[in-house]
Amino acid sequence: MADLAEIERMIAEALPGAEVEVVDETGGGDHLRAIVRAPQFEGRSRIDRHRMVRAAVRARMDDGSIHALSISAEPPG
Amino acid sequence: MAANPELKEKVEELLRENEVLLFMKGTPQMPRCGFSMRVVGVLEQLGVDYGAVDVLPILDPLREVTGEISDWRTFPQLYVNGELVGGCDIVEEMLETGELSRLLEVEQPESAQPSQAQPADPQQSPPIQLG
Repeated sequence: MADLAEIERMIAEALPGAEVEVVDETGGGDHLRAIVRAPQFEGRSRIDRHRMVRAAVRARMDDGSIHALSISAEPPG
Repeated sequence: MAANPELKEKVEELLRENEVLLFMKGTPQMPRCGFSMRVVGVLEQLGVDYGAVDVLPILDPLREVTGEISDWRTFPQLYVNGELVGGCDIVEEMLETGELSRLLEVEQPESAQPSQAQPADPQQSPPIQLG
């Protein structure tokens, strides 16, 4: 069971200037979707953008609070 | 834990030999995971030839290998020209935007719909056994 506000904060801290929204996809608290718009994504492949988001929340994936994380990662605008 | 060097070498060999290579749970004919099935559905829709590796018999050692090769430990994983493109999310997004068709140099289907996932036709894509 993850703390959605904490996950959002972790992503926002790793990607300064990003707009971040984390939603609980199933109501179970561990299948999350992160919608992130970050200037750092400009010019990066999708897989790199996902790596950046996953890296930001790795601690919560490793400790099992997040079981599945789907990611929507676009540059702003 | 370090990856098994022999398995890593085999995987690198497969990546050189298969322009399009999918690591999946189950086989294209009998996917054992919804996400893997959706990626199969995308590839079938685009009509590309691809190699498919069933990760289930060697799941944990293979995670270590793909972790070292491409910093990615969850499956499915789609590789094109030896580079990790992504898992189910990314593959479906790239189908919708046409990026995947461009990458694979195929024509974009008129109604590119990710959710038309279906097990593959059994004649196509004989599964690759690893380990």
